[in-house]
Amino acid sequence: MTWQGTLLHVHIAPAASYEMEERAEAQLVAGRGIVGDRYYLGIGTYSPKPDVREITLIEVEVLEAIANGEPKIPGFKGLLKPEEHRRNLTTRGVPLNHLVGKRFQIGETVLRAARMNFPCKYIEELLGMPGLYEGLLNRSGLNCSIEVGGVIRPGDPILPMDE
Amino acid sequence: MGSPRIIMKLIVAGVHVEPGDVRVIELKHHRRPLLPAFEPGSHVDVHLPIGKVRQYSLCGDPEDLSRYTIAVKRENGGRGGSAWIHDQLTPGAELPVTAPRNHFPLKESDGPVLLLAGGIGITPIFAMARALWRQGKPFELHYFARSRSLAPLLGALEKTISSENLRLHLDDQVETRQDLEELLSTRPSGAQLYYCGPPGFMAAVALASEDWPDGTVNFEAFQPLVQDDTPPEPFMIVLRNGAVVSVPADKSALSAIRAAGVLLMASCENGVCGTCECGYLEGQPIHRDAVLPSNARSHRFIPCVSRATGVLKLDL
Repeated sequence: MTWQGTLLHVHIAPAASYEMEERAEAQLVAGRGIVGDRYYLGIGTYSPKPDVREITLIEVEVLEAIANGEPKIPGFKGLLKPEEHRRNLTTRGVPLNHLVGKRFQIGETVLRAARMNFPCKYIEELLGMPGLYEGLLNRSGLNCSIEVGGVIRPGDPILPMDE
Repeated sequence: MGSPRIIMKLIVAGVHVEPGDVRVIELKHHRRPLLPAFEPGSHVDVHLPIGKVRQYSLCGDPEDLSRYTIAVKRENGGRGGSAWIHDQLTPGAELPVTAPRNHFPLKESDGPVLLLAGGIGITPIFAMARALWRQGKPFELHYFARSRSLAPLLGALEKTISSENLRLHLDDQVETRQDLEELLSTRPSGAQLYYCGPPGFMAAVALASEDWPDGTVNFEAFQPLVQDDTPPEPFMIVLRNGAVVSVPADKSALSAIRAAGVLLMASCENGVCGTCECGYLEGQPIHRDAVLPSNARSHRFIPCVSRATGVLKLDL
């Protein structure tokens, strides 16, 4: 699989349910998360449930499809902004669903995709967007662990490894 | 379960003193020019750095989303939240505040609206009066206070709505006093009643409006109505998975359920915010909250304050 993508946005939330805050750069710590993020601090909504949640990603292509109400079934249409979806990173040109089990690079860092992210009803209530849960099914992004830490910035290239 | 809401970092943009030991706090977003929209009657949860969460009505103008305005009365003998706000909160401080939620909305109606406020209960009622005034709807606001010098927001209120819509009832001016029974003894055709105030006021208005039809009386309490002052007794809770949780007399159902490993969010733990709301399937609850509407009491339960006799089966 040959592809090359770009990191568009980096967001963190200081605690569960807090608004996401955009960062011009962020420090990734291997085995832990993004410095300052709720999952790095162990105070996220899902922190008590053991799983890989060091860093989460979603495709901007999904946000664009949702903005257009595509696909027509379930037909959820809404403006889900990068600071609202509660994933840490927004990417362009990266086939996230195909990366489960694989490693990839963002700038100087290396992530391993642990599993597809599963949307939660919680986000519908948090954002007041009923129907968003169905709209995100099967395209809700990736949960990853951080294998090699470092600094990332919007604009960093995202490249496959393990080809 | 009550819905979670986004928590925003707001900055205290201004603090000023109002009569009646009240501080008015103006809050702005730390980075965005506009805050989420709200309707009259809405409140926000304020997360105090001392680990307490308190609900305050938004009394500002919903058409000015550059700021939220709350008014906080110092409750001596309270649980410490208002004292902290009075003593510690200064302009420039950062305060985490949730997006607004409305348990006390103005209903769509063309009939006359009767607004009753007791003291600091003016906060949500002020926002309603402003909206009704703008819409040109028929309404009357009866504001009950001990004296003019102890009536918060009165100055702003008099500048916002016409004196024809405002009736002041001051304890220290005998001629202005109003008997609630008499005021509410007849209901004008199509009228809706909204009221908010301290516990004694709430109980008096509830009694005086007993004969108003269901769906015409709307209120918001700051504290649960003390209808039941019998000492709490132990009872049992059965969860959906069959687990049996005993609730001792000196513990809340909420803490017992949590101790049994159920993740349940809560906020005020005082029966007013509705965050810990859950369903019940069987049993005899003793409702002690001030948030569930009467038509929800047949199947919903507020475990932070409410109790039960015997065994209560919860939908958890």
